[in-house]
Amino acid sequence: MTTVESNRDAGRARVLIVDDSSLVRLYYRETLEGAGFEVEQAINGIEAMEKVLAEPFDLIVVDVNMPRMDGLSFIRALRSSPSPVAAVPTLVITTEASSQDREDARAAGANFYLVKPVSDADLRRHVACLTGTSR
Amino acid sequence: MAPPEVQRTRAIHVTQEDVRRLCEFLYRRTGMSFDDNKRYYIDRRLAERITATASNSFQSYFATLRSDAEHEIEHLVNAFTVNETYFYREDHQLRCMVSNLLDDILRRKTTGESIRIWSIPCSTGEEPYSIAMWLMENWSEVDKYNIEIVGSDIDTRALKAAADGVYGTRALMRLPRHVIERYFGRIDGNQVRIDPGLRDSVQFTRVNLIDARDMALYRDFDIVFCRNVLIYFDDASRRIAAENLYDCLRPGGYICLGHSETMSRISTLFRVCRFPDAIVYQRPEADHDDS
Amino acid sequence: MPFVRREIATTPVVSKAPDRSLETHLAGLSSTDSEARWSAARALGGRADAVAALAEALATEQVPRVREAIMTAVMRVGNEASVLALLPYLRSQDAGLRATAIEALQALPDAIAPFMPKLLADNDADVRLLAAELVRNMPAKDATRILCDLLQNEQAANVCAAAIDVLAEVGTRDAVPVLQACAARFRDTPFLPFAISTTIARISNTEG
Repeated sequence: MTTVESNRDAGRARVLIVDDSSLVRLYYRETLEGAGFEVEQAINGIEAMEKVLAEPFDLIVVDVNMPRMDGLSFIRALRSSPSPVAAVPTLVITTEASSQDREDARAAGANFYLVKPVSDADLRRHVACLTGTSR
Repeated sequence: MAPPEVQRTRAIHVTQEDVRRLCEFLYRRTGMSFDDNKRYYIDRRLAERITATASNSFQSYFATLRSDAEHEIEHLVNAFTVNETYFYREDHQLRCMVSNLLDDILRRKTTGESIRIWSIPCSTGEEPYSIAMWLMENWSEVDKYNIEIVGSDIDTRALKAAADGVYGTRALMRLPRHVIERYFGRIDGNQVRIDPGLRDSVQFTRVNLIDARDMALYRDFDIVFCRNVLIYFDDASRRIAAENLYDCLRPGGYICLGHSETMSRISTLFRVCRFPDAIVYQRPEADHDDS
Repeated sequence: MPFVRREIATTPVVSKAPDRSLETHLAGLSSTDSEARWSAARALGGRADAVAALAEALATEQVPRVREAIMTAVMRVGNEASVLALLPYLRSQDAGLRATAIEALQALPDAIAPFMPKLLADNDADVRLLAAELVRNMPAKDATRILCDLLQNEQAANVCAAAIDVLAEVGTRDAVPVLQACAARFRDTPFLPFAISTTIARISNTEG
């Protein structure tokens, strides 16, 4: 994907963290910045869309339960945006654990799904894998 | 309130953790974020506000802020921003209007239909006059269409000043010389008056954004500039105002917020649109609604 | 200059006409036209006598912006009936509905206060998790007490995480012992030790 390649040429892969919990965002940010990623944040799906339209990202990490615009609504809106934005991979990390929840996320256009709480090691590993960075 | 001497000698201790808490709250509530190299700036403004509210601790100030007592959120945010109003403020949105929004709006227009632009709140009129001047100076199609510009505010004194069209020379600071010469006449060393033709081009009205009946008179606008007011409303008022503005826009019409504002803290009714010069928000076009 | 003026009446002519009746607006709520339902919901905003009808309309409304308008209308009443109308959506399978309901309920901290004990003791962890978020707009002392009660016995890690996140904003140092106990309970769980130590650092100097 050209976006990923050009970002890696520039140095660091860019990850957008979308979660309404400030502690979750802080945790992911410290974990990922420590692993060499460039990190931005958003508090709900609308802010996420603003960020995604403004700057390129290699991966979006999305919570589901957020006030005003939830994560699945955001992913649906993302997938119907103009490319290359529409093609940005999304990793859903959520409290919702049932197979129906997983299926709903897949149907919305999510690429990958993890259940909270996620360890820093698992987060690093998944993000590295999904951004194609070898760490 | 404590006498000034007591205020001066009482040093309110604010920790780094307190500042982090404050920044988290502000970010969640308004969308404004402060990276670490702006934190020193916050310390000073925070100290000002703690004094101004006669708070005797960070905690009591934070409680005031969280409950937005006496519009404290607005006071704090205003302490961070330059509050002067002047012509051609946030001109990136005016550029966006000419470069992108008008073309899209015209695609949907029938012949003879006016282009309607609304500045609300318009305060003392700099914004609607700026819109008018910008269009005349920068839009090659400006003479081909009828354009209505309306400026509205809840403050009748501001509206009167807007209709009078008299400004201090400081308000001209962003205007190129030829624009000043074209649209302003000097009154004396410190004051100018806006050209009467331009002044009469803008209609000024009193409107309360939250009053659905006030707002019901305003329909079919193509662009609304609604800057630096929605974010300060309480939860209920923000939603009501957003719904009112939705109804005031034509399907496909655009709304522009203030520089530090975001619809993510206000409403889901509008689509985010990214253009080279600005992020603006759009009422969905008619056929995108499911009936 | 290309500018034209269409004189807009500054005294609303509309208000001189009699208010359309409650019945008219209620009928509009069940129109097949979404625009009519939208207008009806908005016109009924803040009317306590319309809450039941609005709640009923909400149950079958599919158009997102009409759903939101109905929830806004209900929220504007802001009484117990409003809260009862919105609460069921915390259990919805639809994330979007949950998001809108939470947002509306967050605006009603006083009305929702009597419901909190029951919500925070709900059998469904997902409901307890969302309920913790509703405590955020309460005064610091009340919020701290309520969340400490929850954390004393809460076994679900994600519910604890939600409560801790709210405490990071509103908590006083009275919460520290409970948080420390929580850290011990969840010492092997990802994220929680980080969340707790961050929160303790934030609130340690905050008096109750």
